[in-house]
Amino acid sequence: MGRIRAVLSVAAALLAIATLALRAQTIAPNTGEFTVRLGVGLPAVDQGALNDESHAPQTAQTIKRLAMHEQLHRERTGATGIPYASGRLLVKFRESASSGARADAIAAASGTAALTARPSFADFDVLSLDPNEDAEAAALRLSQRPEVEYAQPAYRVRPHFVPNDPYYHSSATFSPGQWNLPLINLESAWDIQPQAGSTITVAVLDTGLAYTNATITKNLPAFRDDNGVLYPALGTVTIPYSAASQIVTAGRIVAQHDFIWDNDQPLDFDGHGTHVSGTIGQLTNDGLFTAGVAFNVKLMPVKVIDSFWDDLFGAPNIATDAVVARGIRYAADNGANIINMSLGREGPPNTAPAVEDAIRYAVGRGAFIAISSGNEFEAGNPREIFAEIASRVQGAVTVAAVDRNATSGDHHCRGTAGSPACHAYYSSSGSYVELAAPGGSERGFGRDGLVWQQTFNFEFTDTFLLPPSQYHAPRFDVHAIVGYVGTSMAAPHVSGVAAMVMQQGITDPAAIEAALEKFAIDLGAVGRDDLYGYGLVDARATLRGLGMAR
Amino acid sequence: MRWATVAWLSAVLCLVGSRPAVAQPVQGLSFRPFVMASFQQFSAQDTFDAAFGGTTESFFGGGLNITQDDTVYLELTASRFKKTGELAFYNNGDVFRLGIPMTVTITPFELTAGYRFHRRQRRLPSSNTRATVPSRFIPYVGGGFGLYRYEQTSEFATDDENIDTRHAGVILEGGVEIRLHQWIGLGVDLRYNYVPGILGEGGISQLADENDLGGIAARVKLVVGR
Repeated sequence: MGRIRAVLSVAAALLAIATLALRAQTIAPNTGEFTVRLGVGLPAVDQGALNDESHAPQTAQTIKRLAMHEQLHRERTGATGIPYASGRLLVKFRESASSGARADAIAAASGTAALTARPSFADFDVLSLDPNEDAEAAALRLSQRPEVEYAQPAYRVRPHFVPNDPYYHSSATFSPGQWNLPLINLESAWDIQPQAGSTITVAVLDTGLAYTNATITKNLPAFRDDNGVLYPALGTVTIPYSAASQIVTAGRIVAQHDFIWDNDQPLDFDGHGTHVSGTIGQLTNDGLFTAGVAFNVKLMPVKVIDSFWDDLFGAPNIATDAVVARGIRYAADNGANIINMSLGREGPPNTAPAVEDAIRYAVGRGAFIAISSGNEFEAGNPREIFAEIASRVQGAVTVAAVDRNATSGDHHCRGTAGSPACHAYYSSSGSYVELAAPGGSERGFGRDGLVWQQTFNFEFTDTFLLPPSQYHAPRFDVHAIVGYVGTSMAAPHVSGVAAMVMQQGITDPAAIEAALEKFAIDLGAVGRDDLYGYGLVDARATLRGLGMAR
Repeated sequence: MRWATVAWLSAVLCLVGSRPAVAQPVQGLSFRPFVMASFQQFSAQDTFDAAFGGTTESFFGGGLNITQDDTVYLELTASRFKKTGELAFYNNGDVFRLGIPMTVTITPFELTAGYRFHRRQRRLPSSNTRATVPSRFIPYVGGGFGLYRYEQTSEFATDDENIDTRHAGVILEGGVEIRLHQWIGLGVDLRYNYVPGILGEGGISQLADENDLGGIAARVKLVVGR
């Protein structure tokens, strides 16, 4: 009896060990309810400035973070080499095409394609495909059908931002370094318009916004990082979430929407969207932290970019052309006067018809759009397709970034000893660049060269960058003033100025673009050039307009 | 400014309704001061429309008209236009007014010369004598040049952004003087002036491709003297 008991004990122990070992090698499916209780939560802990300089495109932390994020996706690349979301493609049929003809076209293009329900705020349809099928090839076959106006893969879209270094903590003091705001002559612009855009709504198409207090409950599954290292499941966790106190005030947030989760709760789980919103409209002249450009605008957070946590929480959608196009249309249909898009993707011309249609639609409805030019200057400087579209639409502008070498005097930044270049090292250039604005740079400037706004303290949010043994659930209720770098930071300067210009009386998007370009401070080569476009946006001059003779 | 216009028109109507005088050509030099009001349609229509919401504005002033034998004349006029409008932006024909006050003052100093037409002597009926037939209406035509001072100030402007400049222009005029009384005449004329060099170098006028500060003016002047 004793032997039998011993054998059973050993067998049970072996079974337990085997089970644990097996569990350690596999990842349970990401299931379990994702619960958000809006309004349930404490105000944020505001921690002042972080002494961090790693919000730059080429830092190890940036690369790691992107890699971690992408690890959670099923992405493919086709002949063009542009990443797209597998298992779907976008198609717009001609109105004259019958349902039978549409079905025939779909069947001819792909044996696995099936029409899904048309998503909201879209003038195109989405086809589901076998995830292993080449969506680019299927889209090409489909686009050649007479019933089809265009077809394209759901190309992946990424924000033009630079993530934080979560391991480098600041001292308690913040040396005020908002060099970026006086650079575009904002102080005198605020003299002209102290209301700072109070009647204008700016839609921020981004990773969302820390716009409310909430308590989130989620069973967090295990995952592997980009090196295959396993991070353990955390079980059901409660995650605190708080509104950004320097951005959100009563009545300021309007018509928020989330196209990643398909609901009206665009909670930012990244920090990028909150930082961009801060540049546009962080509370100003309140004696706290930093300022924003148009600090009285209403903000419409429209979440079209997924973050690592969105993906781990099990969000149904990821950032693609389809999501961005729907976000643009949503913003235009819900009263946005200005749309900021600190995001983009590379690609050859005419490969983003859904987004181009949406941009033209929004401008046609009276919305001005600012789009960042991209951060790939040192990575081959590929063509940024959304930025390229903006350059062809009067009422949408592409914004490049300058660093702290820029000055407010005309014809600076020539790249000579007496006039050093101020082109930010990462800022994508090309014929599509139309304007420049402060994007910042840590190279040669350290923390003084960053663009500082309120967002999450990434030490508490980016726990997935810790070793697995230290990995823990994030919390989104600790905020700080954080320095970011990127053309993502440049575009919201232009959006904020555009909001003030619209309030001042230039109500037509094409005229806003014309004014911003006419009054821009010419940088680099005389006239428009590929690095700075027409030059550095000048808030005061644009707001002031012209007299009869000067 | 509006009450002044009404006062002018009232005075003109009173004088027109008074007993007609006979125009007798005056020999030698005659010095005749006058006051005037003009209503100018500016050539730079988009520019003025952007700044003031209209293209016709009023000048008020006065001067001295000197005649020689009541035929040739030399006229010196000083007038002024001052109005507050708005800074604006102009794009492809669309005007966007920005709500920032801008005051423009135009001060022309103009010198013109011309000829006054009297009816020739003719034979009187029922006699063989020739005599000058008196007339209340003395047409005249002339031309000249002017010096135009243009001042532009606006709220929030730096010194560099305000303007105080001058430029010359040319004038053509033609009208009729109506003798209301032996010592009072009413001149009504049309003037065309062309004033380059002030507009078109910057501002809305440059965007609108307009470089003429002049235009066509209907002018009324009350002349004191024979």
